Parts: sequence; C-alpha cells; structure tokens
Amino acid sequence: MLSASRHRESGTSPGRSVLLTKLLVAAVLLGLVLAFPALAPDPFVLSVGVVIASYAALAVAWNFVGGLTGYISLGHAAYSGLGGYATALLVTEAGVNPWVSMVVAAVLVGVAAVPIGIASLRVRGASFVIVSIALVLILLLVAQSWAGVTGGSNGLRVPRPFGTDVLRPEQHERFFYLFVGLTLVALALWWVIDRSRLGTGLKAIREDEDKAQALGVPTFAYKLVVFVVSAFMTAMAGGMYALWFGSLDPIFQFSILTGSYLVLMSLLGGVRSLLGPVVGAVIVGYAVEFFKAQYGDTQLHLVALGLLLALVVLFMPDGVIPWLTAQLDRFRPGDTSIREVDAAQLAEERKALEEAKS
Amino acid sequence: MSGALLLQSLILGLLLGGLYALLAAGLTLYFGVMRVVMIAHSAFLILAAYLAWFFTTQTGLDPLLSLVITVPLFFAAGYGMQRALLSRLRPATLTMMSVLLTFAIALVIEGGLGYLFSGTQRRIQLGYSGASLELWGARIAVVKLIAFGLAAVSLLALYLLLKKTRFGQALRATIQHREAAQLLGIDTDRIAGFGFGLGLATAAVGGTALALDATIYPSLHWHWIGPLMAIIVIGGLGSIPGAAIAAMLLGVTQALLQIPMGTTWAQTVFYLALFATLMFRPQGFFGGRLAQRF
Repeated sequence: MLSASRHRESGTSPGRSVLLTKLLVAAVLLGLVLAFPALAPDPFVLSVGVVIASYAALAVAWNFVGGLTGYISLGHAAYSGLGGYATALLVTEAGVNPWVSMVVAAVLVGVAAVPIGIASLRVRGASFVIVSIALVLILLLVAQSWAGVTGGSNGLRVPRPFGTDVLRPEQHERFFYLFVGLTLVALALWWVIDRSRLGTGLKAIREDEDKAQALGVPTFAYKLVVFVVSAFMTAMAGGMYALWFGSLDPIFQFSILTGSYLVLMSLLGGVRSLLGPVVGAVIVGYAVEFFKAQYGDTQLHLVALGLLLALVVLFMPDGVIPWLTAQLDRFRPGDTSIREVDAAQLAEERKALEEAKS
Repeated sequence: MSGALLLQSLILGLLLGGLYALLAAGLTLYFGVMRVVMIAHSAFLILAAYLAWFFTTQTGLDPLLSLVITVPLFFAAGYGMQRALLSRLRPATLTMMSVLLTFAIALVIEGGLGYLFSGTQRRIQLGYSGASLELWGARIAVVKLIAFGLAAVSLLALYLLLKKTRFGQALRATIQHREAAQLLGIDTDRIAGFGFGLGLATAAVGGTALALDATIYPSLHWHWIGPLMAIIVIGGLGSIPGAAIAAMLLGVTQALLQIPMGTTWAQTVFYLALFATLMFRPQGFFGGRLAQRF
C-alpha cells in the first residue's frame, strides 16, 4: 500500500509507461495473430491455426466459471456440442441464416443452462463436477440414440455458410478471423466482469465461499449468472466450429476429452489471468495437433494428456507464468515486505518523534 | 410383458445393484476420508477386469483366483496414491484439484490399457459361462450370481471391518472429525491412506466380478463412472448405507426400464435421478451433516 501511494505522489510516469508497454505488447501480439493466415505456408497449417483459435475461444469461455469462481467444469463439451447441434438443426431443418442460427442456438443453450446451473450450483464443488461429467455422458447417449433428430452415430452434416465458390483455404482464413474475433469478444467480457462488482463477488466466492456469503454476497445468483454467460459463450464457439467443420460426430462433440483439454489449457495458462487460457490454448492446442500428426491414432495421446494434467495440477496449479516467475525469483535477491530495522533504530525514531511533539 | 420376464429383470436388477453398491461404497470411502470425488475409481475397475482377463488367458486358471493378487495390489496402490499424490494438494483447492488429478489418472489407465491390449473387446470364456439357473421361468446366469455373491461378501466384510474392529473405529472417527480423531491419538494420515486402499480394493473385487460376465474394453469406465457418481449423490455423499440403498433401487429401476425402453435409454434413469435429487434435495436422501456442504 505504502509504495503504491508513493508512486502516485511521485508523478504518473511509472504507471503510464507500464500501461503503454502492455498496450504495445498486446498490439504486437494481436498483429502477429492477425498476420498468421498470410504467414501460414499451407492450408493444413492454417487449419491447425483455426483449431487453436477455436480452442482459445472455448478456453476463455470456460474460464468465466473456472477462473472467476474456481468451480472446475469437466463437461463444457456439453455446451459446445449442444451449440453445434442446435446450429446445425436450425440451418438444415428450419432454414435459418447460419449466423443467426449460431446466435439463436447459443441463446437456447444459455436458457437450458439455467436449470442445469440451479441443480449443480446449489451445493459446493463436488456435485458441480459430478453434474458436469454426467451431462456430457447423458448428452452423448441421447445424441447417439435419438437418431431421428441427431442423426445417431452418423452425426449431422452442416452446409457451409460461404457458398461453394469460396475455396477451402479461403474458408479457413475467414473462420480464423471469426474465431479470433469471438475470442476477443469473450476476453473483453471477461475483463469487464473481472472489474465489476459481480467479478469481485465471484472472486470472493473462489477464495472462501462461506465468508463471501456471510459478507452478504448473493453467492448463488452470482454463480448462476456467470455460469449461464459461460455456457452461452461456449455454445457460440461450438456453433461456429460446426459451421466451419461442416459435420458433427457425437463422439467428438460430446467428449469428456474435449472438456478436459479446456481445463488443461486454462490451468496451464493460469486461470486467474485474462490471457492465461489463450496462452494455454496455443500451447496445448499445438501439442495436441503435433501429437496427432506425429503418433497418429494410438491411445498414447490419452497417457500424455493424463500425465501433463497431473503434472500441472501437482506442480503449477496457478499456471505456467506464475510458476516461471516463482522459479526465476529463486535466483533473485529476496525482496521481503518486512522492514529491516533493528530495535536500536526503532528506539531512535521514537525518541525523535517524541521530541518533535514536545 | 410376461411375469417371468418381469421377475427375471427384477432379479437381474438386484444382482447388478449389488455390484453397484460395492463400488459406490468404495467411492463413499474416498469421499469420507478426504472429501475427494475419485473419478479414476471405474478406471481401476476396468483395470482389475483386464488383469483378471489377462491372468486367465495366461494361466488358464479361474479369474476369481486373480483376486489374491489384485486386492493387495490395489490396496497398496490406493495407499500410495493417497500418500504420494492426493495429500500433496493444497487443502484450499483440494476438492477441485483432486477431481482433476484422479481424472488424469483415469486417462492414463485408459490410454495404457488401450496401448497394451488394444481397443479390441475382450471376454473371458469359462466352463460355466453359459450355465444358468431357472427359477419360476426366469433364467439367471450363474456368473451373475457369483458376481453378486462376491460383491455381497465383500460389502459384508467391509461393514464388519468398519463396525467391529479398532481400525474401523479409527477410520470412522477420521471421517467424522479429523481434528478430534487426531486429538485422540489416531494417526489420521495413515488411516486416510488405508481408507483409500480399502476403496481401491473394492474396485479390484468389482472388476473381477465384472470380468466374469461382461465384455470389456478400455473406454468402458465412462459407462460406469456416471451411474456410480449419481448413486453416491442420491444416497448422500459420504453415507455408505445410503449409497447401498440407492444402488439397489437404481439397479432394479434400470433393469425394469430396459424392458420397454432398451438398454441405452434405460441408462438415463441415473442421470435423471441425479438432476432431480440435486434440484429438490441437494444433500441426497440419506446423507447427514457431511453431505450438506458438498
């Protein structure tokens, strides 16, 4: 506190320069991201970029609940899958414009998330996790069995939104920008919530739900609101994925694995920071695609994912950036918050104060 | 629908419920000693089933004999897992992080099984695989009776262990109030490790019972974890009798619903019951003080 106020007194330059550097770094990063389609050597690399961008959108959407409240959902694939299926059905059965379908589907998923949230958020964490997993399993059952609507195990085909004259690389490029745009919207929303009264209440829940409740935070309502927002954003990303990929397979849409990728991304990047999930999505998304390309379809990718998740949970639950800073700090001279004053100096100070008074 | 078919479904439901009850008791033990939702429980179940299958194909002996190896092995693995992994997590985020850690273990087991034994469906062929008893027109496979008997004996043993021995008293004291148990001189860390070992031993028994009459494949555990977690929530987290009653009821309901709805849709009864319970009675139907807060 002391040092912060001293900074403010001594002029605004340090604060402003930090802000400027941050903005500059953000602008450079964004520029690099936007230049990616032009730099990508071939359509395959570009399509990997689209997958990573979609993971980034999903991970940021996940982080509304995971990061702000500390409630870890392993079943966010349920909302992205539902968003995808609803978008596909609206386009093919009702003939609605694809982009309108995407938003309507996300709103529908948001509405459906209200009773789910009421059921799973009334009690503490354990039931929330159980419900999140159960939801994916039940939706997978339904999607596979209810063949009349969902196409069963064959899945659904989704017509492309850009017509047939737009070639595949061009499709990838447009969807890359769309996913980046969606991620930016989600980031902006997260930033706003993080700084609002709602966000403060949610973070109080994360740190200690009992104390937050005792202080008058409407814990249940706050959790429900952010849960619905998260489901909505996840469904948007899921719908956009359906439009890009063009076909839906229940095994991949309602997959616990997808949900756990999102958790791993956010945890690895750091759930408490704005850009953590994006950093995690880039690292994990790249690793997943690399692993697929290198080792094909063996079951070893499950082992790799499991080991990585266990390592992150055990050794860097706050994310890779805080972990790295902590490792670097070991080599720096320790900066302590304790003032290094001995008893003699204190006595002198006190004497000086008393003299000044009298 | 004929009376014989109904009777047969009822009996099959009870037999399945017995297996559910044993496995749910294991999940309840983990939850009791550490407030941990152990996602890897059913992965260990499938691992035990694979070990029983591997044991039988390699030695030609009865899969039940593999229990001699798997039960102590799983007990040790559970103790080691609790002491080496779960107790390292920060208490503040234990519930969430332990879910992720056990989820990671489940993935490693599933991937490892898939890599070692491939995704092919496996089944143990035994001399008595096809044998069945007939009771008022209902046909009950002998292997299902053996599986139920195994589950029932293990549950009884677990009950006696918890109620009648000093170790059981110490374990229950640790579950009820850890600090108070510590003040009474109980080494709660060790007891918690043993509790975990016991829970994992139930997975070993259940897996062997499962291997007797089911076709197994690496990703089968996802079909078990959902129903099992539904059972422990409905029974009230932390209550073993509650879990056993919920397991029996849901097992029978599932078996009866299979007649009109088919096997896939009948599975949804677990999830519907789970949602209904959380909506109207989030602490479960038999849970005490402990269940209120999770």
